[in-house]
Amino acid sequence: MRWIWIDKFIDFQSGRSATAVKNVTLAEEHLHDHFPGFPVMPECLMIEGMAQTAGILVGEARAFKEKVILAKIQKAVFFDFVRPGDSIQLEAAIESISPEAAATRGRITRQESLIAEIDLMFSHIDQNLTGIPFPKENFVFENSTFQSLLREYTSRGHDGGPQARVVHG
Amino acid sequence: MEDNEVMRFILIDKIIAVEAGRSIRTVKALSLAEEYLGDHFPTFPVLPGVLLLQGLVESASWLVRTTENFAHSMILLAQARNVKYKSFLAPGCQIEYAVTAKDIQEDLSSFFGEGASGGQAIVEARFSLRHFNLADRRHDLAGIDAEIIEALKGRWALLRQGQENRR
Amino acid sequence: MAISHDDIFQKVKEVLVDALGVDDDEVRPNARLMADLGAESIDFLDIVFRLEKTFTIKISREELFPADGLLNSGEMVANGKLTDKGLELLKKQLPHVDMTEFQKNPTVARLADLFTVEAIVKFLEHRLNANG
Repeated sequence: MRWIWIDKFIDFQSGRSATAVKNVTLAEEHLHDHFPGFPVMPECLMIEGMAQTAGILVGEARAFKEKVILAKIQKAVFFDFVRPGDSIQLEAAIESISPEAAATRGRITRQESLIAEIDLMFSHIDQNLTGIPFPKENFVFENSTFQSLLREYTSRGHDGGPQARVVHG
Repeated sequence: MEDNEVMRFILIDKIIAVEAGRSIRTVKALSLAEEYLGDHFPTFPVLPGVLLLQGLVESASWLVRTTENFAHSMILLAQARNVKYKSFLAPGCQIEYAVTAKDIQEDLSSFFGEGASGGQAIVEARFSLRHFNLADRRHDLAGIDAEIIEALKGRWALLRQGQENRR
Repeated sequence: MAISHDDIFQKVKEVLVDALGVDDDEVRPNARLMADLGAESIDFLDIVFRLEKTFTIKISREELFPADGLLNSGEMVANGKLTDKGLELLKKQLPHVDMTEFQKNPTVARLADLFTVEAIVKFLEHRLNANG
């Protein structure tokens, strides 16, 4: 199972908001366990999709210099479930951002239907010494998949999107 | 029955204690063999925060199932609040989840859950689950409900093999 | 426009209930954020963000809560107590908090007790009415 829970960006306003899409397909192995006979996308993986959308938005806002880690789920409320063949949109907006942390608000929709509301807090762990050891290099954004998602968005000719940035390890 | 899948989406390994209607304790062992660790993160493998929450959700779900005697096939996360991540869980370590029910009703339940590893707090959360049968909305799916419940009973037996106070 | 102590308290209460998941009646003026309401580092940041939005002001975390740097610094804390330097820094960062009792035995454990609901309300009263 690859740890990437969004498929592409369809909107990206640097420092403000971003919208990504995730397709749900029977080709995803974990669905067959959740649940056998009636697959639905696990709610926790929808939260992760939002965390990746919002986390990339927050990271890009500070040129990927910070290690942006999910620190708190303020709230995640689910109104319906999502099935194979569905395509969901994950919309995130930065509510607050400071040197140590960021707060984002988000909604997941399936066409006109509201699937979830998810508000998150990220910690910039270099600025937030917690006494917990972690590597010096930016292990969060080394992930080339996140970078290629943004590159792919930019290459589709969108204006106002993220600058092409190189992540320095 | 789909037994030939490679990756299993199960985020707990054994149930060590359960008190119907009240509480449950479970354990998850984390191994580098778990594929997603290769992406999270390549130089710093740690269990993703949402899978810590999933461990709490699964633990609570089993408490509901044993309390209501597997009355419902579908138990899903309705909401999670104030989920806090306090430390990382690394491969080779184990996490023990302790979940206490605040209220378990027929179609809704609420919990407080914590996870700790070697005395270090890893995660805490307040969350609610909703329970239902597919047949509630579509009579033709009653057979699927029965299949899911059978499969879950099998998994329950598997998870309880590690239980301290078996009933 | 001056805002009353009570109005501030009600708004702070709402913020704390949301940020910490505690019940309304747990948020008493003398409730200690850490010991009584379970607040931790990430919650301090959450509370600061929410207070900024509620009162439309900028707050930096050190104005309301102990900075991580303070607690983890050998210069500021020694043998579980704040050093003179640490005390000085703390007084500077938190002019709205009464330190007289704390100074008598400035241990890190007692430091946490300074951060009460009422301390937040006092801070906001000072800030909001100074600019009003």
